[in-house]
Amino acid sequence: MDIRKVAVIGAGVMGAGIAAHIANAQIPVVLLDIVPKEASNRNIVAETAVEKLLKADPAPLMSSRNAKHITTGNIEDHMSLLADCDWIIEAVIERLDIKQSLYQKINAVRRVDAIVSSNTSTIPLQDLVAGLPDSFAEYFLITHFFNPPRYMRLLEVTGGAKTKPEVIDTISRFADVRLGKGVVPCKDTPGFIANRIGIYWIQTAILEAINLGLTVEEADAVGSKPMGIPKTGVFGLSDLVGIDLMPHLMESMKRTLAPEDVFHAKAIIPDFIHAMIKDGYTGRKGKGGFYRINRAGGQKVKESLNLKTGDYAPSVEARLDSLKESKAGLAALVVYPDRGGQYAWKVLSQVLSYAASLVPTIADQIPAVDEAMRLGYNWKYGPFELIDQLGAKRFAERLQAEGLPVPALVTQAAQVGSFYRVQEGQLEYLNTNGTYQPLPRAAGVVLLSDIKLRSKPVLRNGSASVWDIGDGVLCLEFTSKMNSMDPQIMEMIGKTIALVKRSYKALVVYNEGSNFSVGANIGLLLFGANIATWDQIEALIKSGQDTYKALKYAPFPVVGAPAGMALGGGCEILLHCDAIQAHAETYMGLVEVGVGVVPGWGGCKEMLTRWVTNPKRPGGPIPPVAKTFEMISTATVAKSAQEAQELLFLRPTDKITMNRDRLLADAKAQALAMVEGYQAPTPVELSLPGKTAKVALTMAVTDFRKMGKATPHDEVVSLQLAEVLSGGDTDITETVSEDELLELEREAFMTLIRHPDTLARVEHMLDTGKPLRN
Amino acid sequence: MPTYKAPLRDLQFVYKELFDATSLQALPGFEEVDTDLTDTILEEAGRFCETVLQPLNQSGDEEGCHFNNGAVTTPKGFKAAYQAFCENGWGAVTADPTYGGQGLPKTIGMMVEEMICSANMSFGMYPGLTEGAYNALAKFGTDELKTTYLPKMVTGEWSGTMCLTEPHCGTDLGLVRTKAEPQSNGAYKVTGTKIFISAGEQDLTDNIIHLVLARTPDAPAGIKGISLFIVPKYLVNADGSVGAANGVSCGSIEHKMGIKASATCVINFDAAEGYLVGTLNKGMQAMFQMMNTARLGVGIQGLGLSEVSYQNAVAYARDRLQGRALKAPFQPDKPADPLFVHPDVRRMLLTMRAYTEGNRALAIWVARKLDESNRATDPKQKQSADDFVALMTPIVKAFMTDCATDVTNLGVQIYGGHGFIREWGMEQFVRDARITQIYEGTNGIQALDLVGRKMAQNTGRLLRPFFHEVSEYLEQKSADSSDELQVMIGGLMKAFGRLQQATGFIAQQGLKDPDEAAAAATDYLRLFALVALGYLWLRMAEIALAKQGEGEAEFYQAKLDTAQFYFARLLPQTGALLSAILSGSQTLMQFNHEAF
Repeated sequence: MDIRKVAVIGAGVMGAGIAAHIANAQIPVVLLDIVPKEASNRNIVAETAVEKLLKADPAPLMSSRNAKHITTGNIEDHMSLLADCDWIIEAVIERLDIKQSLYQKINAVRRVDAIVSSNTSTIPLQDLVAGLPDSFAEYFLITHFFNPPRYMRLLEVTGGAKTKPEVIDTISRFADVRLGKGVVPCKDTPGFIANRIGIYWIQTAILEAINLGLTVEEADAVGSKPMGIPKTGVFGLSDLVGIDLMPHLMESMKRTLAPEDVFHAKAIIPDFIHAMIKDGYTGRKGKGGFYRINRAGGQKVKESLNLKTGDYAPSVEARLDSLKESKAGLAALVVYPDRGGQYAWKVLSQVLSYAASLVPTIADQIPAVDEAMRLGYNWKYGPFELIDQLGAKRFAERLQAEGLPVPALVTQAAQVGSFYRVQEGQLEYLNTNGTYQPLPRAAGVVLLSDIKLRSKPVLRNGSASVWDIGDGVLCLEFTSKMNSMDPQIMEMIGKTIALVKRSYKALVVYNEGSNFSVGANIGLLLFGANIATWDQIEALIKSGQDTYKALKYAPFPVVGAPAGMALGGGCEILLHCDAIQAHAETYMGLVEVGVGVVPGWGGCKEMLTRWVTNPKRPGGPIPPVAKTFEMISTATVAKSAQEAQELLFLRPTDKITMNRDRLLADAKAQALAMVEGYQAPTPVELSLPGKTAKVALTMAVTDFRKMGKATPHDEVVSLQLAEVLSGGDTDITETVSEDELLELEREAFMTLIRHPDTLARVEHMLDTGKPLRN
Repeated sequence: MPTYKAPLRDLQFVYKELFDATSLQALPGFEEVDTDLTDTILEEAGRFCETVLQPLNQSGDEEGCHFNNGAVTTPKGFKAAYQAFCENGWGAVTADPTYGGQGLPKTIGMMVEEMICSANMSFGMYPGLTEGAYNALAKFGTDELKTTYLPKMVTGEWSGTMCLTEPHCGTDLGLVRTKAEPQSNGAYKVTGTKIFISAGEQDLTDNIIHLVLARTPDAPAGIKGISLFIVPKYLVNADGSVGAANGVSCGSIEHKMGIKASATCVINFDAAEGYLVGTLNKGMQAMFQMMNTARLGVGIQGLGLSEVSYQNAVAYARDRLQGRALKAPFQPDKPADPLFVHPDVRRMLLTMRAYTEGNRALAIWVARKLDESNRATDPKQKQSADDFVALMTPIVKAFMTDCATDVTNLGVQIYGGHGFIREWGMEQFVRDARITQIYEGTNGIQALDLVGRKMAQNTGRLLRPFFHEVSEYLEQKSADSSDELQVMIGGLMKAFGRLQQATGFIAQQGLKDPDEAAAAATDYLRLFALVALGYLWLRMAEIALAKQGEGEAEFYQAKLDTAQFYFARLLPQTGALLSAILSGSQTLMQFNHEAF
């Protein structure tokens, strides 16, 4: 069955977020909630929720236009709207009586084959369907989303004894392909996988920090990057999600977990944390938490809570020798004798043992547990991957030496070596039956990381590699630091073009970094500018222009497949591709003005061409120039692939993939579909207004400057941009070629890169990661 | 016996004609410092150096310092000369008027220093060390410390020292063992032994103010646990008079290769009372403040020695008749021709001259920027000047002292056998110059500072003022210039391109492997310095060309000719240096250390 229409009941943060994300998939969704007592507007709850969706940051909607897919209503007047829904998601308060009476109402109106799921995280499935007919239970399952639903990829799915297997398949497939979720099948146990282990981890990490006398800065420094955990660490995370949330989650876990579960030993909230919650110190949303920003005295000072005294003091960077040691790996960290090393071991030994003791109770096999922790808690590595890093054998031996119980799975892994291994280019996991099995990938999922295990690159240099992804398609992967564009990437693109021409059919530009590319290597640029190697800088710009142009006019299809940020030079390469297969979470922008230059690798030229040739554009020669100018001069970044399409960073014909893991396969399919009868694009010549547009743009910039909206150097940069986008010395009766536009870009770039204020911007960006407003 | 004449004309050329003197006057606090005042100061300083200090140079070297039962006696005449030095205010030239100084620009201070070093480098050590200690104390000391000590240091009644080195540690100061125990009155008891302490003990002043690196009992290990203390030889009474002895004693003095009239002492601190300067455990920062000025000062010492050696070599080359000019006799009426007719003697003389005058321009350029960095009110100008001084400090220190050893050796060579004879005084310059390559951070350390710290800082920002100035100058001049200049512009372009290439190469290689940057360091520093001198020589040549026909024809022609010699004969070394740099570290590192 296809899911064509969805309903979400309960317009709280989770319900509304789920509805928003279904709307992101361009699926109509009904959002209902109760009618508050004496409400004049009976839909007020759901309507308010949609209003909040439009304002929230980070945005739950990928485009504000998606709100139109959401129909609001209330559960008294609009239950009939559920009649044609294929999937009805219940996301109301965690009270069994309320849920059950709602299910009765749903059952009365739903189509017989409509699927119903609950987003519960605390009530067992069998209790939820108790008293409901089998015909309901067969179509009922739990779908546990993580907050915020747009951004957190994990979806835990579990059915009951009566749930039809195809119901689970339908929802899993829909969630995977259309919603982009990482669907993890799990058992119906308290907290499922991620929260069961996650809450245990948070509690252990907090309690051990107190026991061992670590400061919160120290605990978070050890319990973050060294362990592959997000940089907030556990105290920062508690502040983020709300310190008051923890007792709630823990209470429900305590109620439902078996009394012998070691979880109970960690389900302790220290008195001072109770006191913090009582006094409103609940984290970022409250007066402060384990950290706070003290704004007294007009300055922002980051402060940390002293766990011994309960007082705040300015945060100090943790200085532990074990932190240096951790660069040599997790195994080195946990044996380091200082309190950082001891802490790492204390936390890991308990959390990883706990996780190992829970398979197959909470999930059939270990990959599900690792996937859940990666996608639900943003751990870089799951618990079993972490045990492999420590060495399963050493881990087991140390547990034993310290008189701690060794989970059976760990003993098993210690005997055969590890939980994961690569055998003949295939990644395998250790089955609970003690044999290694290939790690399954869903149909339509192709990962470059898998291809890299079983093959060697066709081409490689210090900044890029080229892989054969089969069927005559090559994949160009950036491998430079932060995937920044540099001369070696340009060189590799040149070689790749020649190779594809000779022996392949198509090219996909794709990588599996957290960002596609954040732009040119500006460190290289700044150093070159500091030592005045102007000729080399100009050659670098020219070679980038030539390379991207060659890519555009290559006699084979080139498909760009970005995910994450694609900024500056990383955006410009995409603008030169024949087609784009973008991950939904792609953030494109020409942000060069942030470092005081204009796009110099054809970015101005391509954006301008798109706006000038846009059939929907307003009339007259100036508006498309002004629109391009506005986007580049304000460094506009699209906050999703959909928004990128609205801003013409993507063409209407470019495609969007919701699931990150399906991006490469989709891109490859698109490239192959273009091979038959492929013809390189025809060069365009533009009629540009020249001086008249430049005058108009200059006046606008000067006004902004006078209003204080633009800084002095913004004005300098904008004027150079205006020169390029107006077409230089031309008028509307003449045409400007691509090469002429590229020359204008180059001239503007070279003028700006010599400017000390531009160099100050570049330096500031490198030092702080933030633009300088000079 | 060597002679010395202060090079007033060349100093004036550099500070008035090469660099615009009015822009110095534009800095706040220097409004009164016009060229008349500067000329007068330089003339007076020159006269003092020629008549009071220079006559004591050779005798001081012959006699050396005396050590007797903890007391050090300076050579005959030093005490009186020091008295005169202080009375004339030469120790107070650049000091803050708040403490009795004259508040003059560092630019003037450095020109005076050059003359002192030419005349009598050993003598210059005594006030020179006081100035270093003054700088650190003025920057980091508490108000109480400053009002207690600085005025008497400015008058020269009291002197200063820098106590860093210990028997087991020189370059690696993280190993310092001297202890400072906190006392209930806020002071510290300092105990330990310091060696190689210049001016550590002497008979010139009433008190000696030691700046001492030491560690407190619970300080972190290594360089991050070092603090700076001020420890006077005699405690100072509440009324400012000199009081009781303070547990500071001189154990012995060193017997050295050169600067023999400068007392180099072992100083023992035995629970001596000391006071913290700056922040606890941040002693190295304060020390670097002192050392950066001191490093420029050491470069100036090299310049001073080069100048005096050149002057005497010229005199000898004129007087000494030996051999005949190869093509035709120069003085047929004399039994032989003067030395200067011989091409190789001219090569040596011009090499000495080109380095010395070039280095003078470099020193004054950096001194000018030091004044800007201290005084400029525009933050961008100040930043740029700061960056320039930080970058050029290791170059001035190392290159100018390397030149000093080369130049003073050429001075000996021109004298032939007589150069080897003590009586002629030329070998003293070599011996005196040799230490300048070693102390205040060996020249190897300077090169590491340049490639490891200065080059990398803020993605090369420190390089910007120099590279942009030279690049803009070349762009501008290559467009319109006379033919005579064009040849030199071409030469500088080529050399500057080599420097850019080497800089990019080292920056890139160094990121991958620190050994690569370190292996290139010394060659790179020299390449950099040669290009800097090339730029200055080009500008000096441009001025000389412009002033042709305005009088002083001989002076300007000599400038132009020296510039042409520099471009033809010295700047081309940059090619060889670049080749060496690009060869990488392999040939240094592959050699089996057991085969050494």
